[in-house]
Amino acid sequence: MLLPLIMAIHAVRGDRDLIDRLRRRDPQALAELYDRYGRLTYSVILRVVRDSATAEDLVQETFLRVWNRAQGLDQERGSVGPWLLAVARNRAIDYLRSTAGRERNTLELEDTDHPALYRDMEPEILRSDKTRRVKAAMDKLSPNQREVMELAYFEGLSQTEMAARMGQPLGTVKTWVRTALQSLRDELGVAVSS
Amino acid sequence: MNCDQLREHYDLYALGVAEEPERNEIRSHLNRECEICMAGVKNAIETTALIGGATVLAEPSAKLRKRILASVGIEPRTFGWAPAWAAAAALGLALAIYFGNQQRHYAEQASRQAEEASRLRAEMRVQSNEITRLTEAFAILNGADTREATFGKGQPRPPRGKVFLNPSQGVLLMASNLPPAPAGKLYEMWVIPKTGKPVPAGMFQSQTDGSAMHIRRGAVDVDATGAVAVTVENEAGADQPTSQPLIVAPVPAGTSPR
Repeated sequence: MLLPLIMAIHAVRGDRDLIDRLRRRDPQALAELYDRYGRLTYSVILRVVRDSATAEDLVQETFLRVWNRAQGLDQERGSVGPWLLAVARNRAIDYLRSTAGRERNTLELEDTDHPALYRDMEPEILRSDKTRRVKAAMDKLSPNQREVMELAYFEGLSQTEMAARMGQPLGTVKTWVRTALQSLRDELGVAVSS
Repeated sequence: MNCDQLREHYDLYALGVAEEPERNEIRSHLNRECEICMAGVKNAIETTALIGGATVLAEPSAKLRKRILASVGIEPRTFGWAPAWAAAAALGLALAIYFGNQQRHYAEQASRQAEEASRLRAEMRVQSNEITRLTEAFAILNGADTREATFGKGQPRPPRGKVFLNPSQGVLLMASNLPPAPAGKLYEMWVIPKTGKPVPAGMFQSQTDGSAMHIRRGAVDVDATGAVAVTVENEAGADQPTSQPLIVAPVPAGTSPR
């Protein structure tokens, strides 16, 4: 009975300690961060850019960016993994947009990787049961719902761009996005209450 | 807008697909540390993080870890002689105290240099993209079957310029005297068929000197195109024009190449 509680406390301390050391610019903390999240970071970036050499360059940029901006992370309540992943995704989409000549403002992406937004999440959330549930929920989406989620997350397309890509009316695409997100939320709601 | 009106847009904001005016509204609520919106967006960001967390895992090369750590001053260490290391450790401890500060200084310097290198790589990528864009523009300009349309000529007010349409390469628009679109807005190009609705042909922004070059890549049916137009739209773009066009370039009829 006590094991999950002990593990949760250990995870919280682990995250706090890691953030503290990152903020103090302890290089070994960066090594530990890479060992925890390097593979996932690479996987997300590779999925976006689809080229391993570019993906590795962008992983390096991501870790350096986090290393140089760790001061902004809340030591007591910060969630370093999700923040790292957001920085990685944004760097990759930014790259994709620049290579595709999609001249959209990068400000909208930077909005979502501000460290202040990454607080009070479940410790080790990226390795939690919630991730498996989201994956299962994604598998259950209709093909169109799954496609819009993938176009949004992995290609950073706006709803208008998705409509043009899919040759569908904007209203239809908006409905697919909304219902897909609702399905994921419902699944997480189940995960939280169970 | 109040928080209640923004609630259903938190997920879209976290995913990066929220549209105007909601995106700006949420941003300004967050900037003034609105507790309701902070909590809502954080919650939505958690869902977005989980989508990333559910990505199928791939394996980076073993060199990547070393490369990243080297960029902040950690060199890979491989010791085979444990006893010698034990003796050296005592000496190392003393030296570490002396060199500790220097090492930290070098590590920070290395990290700054690595970030600068990353920045330069990003700059090079942008320049490489620009070269690609220019190459594409030249391909359209030099195409034997490219047709040319002019706009703004003889009119008292700007903008002025030309549109080049190539059946296999795409549409190139070059304009001058086109002031940058206001904050939250961009220019959107439209390919207007002789019969049917305008087709979106991409968003762009002009330079501060009023010049603009925009390319819509891919095949275009030049004979069936009546005009190319440009309107001002929200940053997210529109599927149909929502404002009066600033630019209308009628495509001249005829089958003869330029």
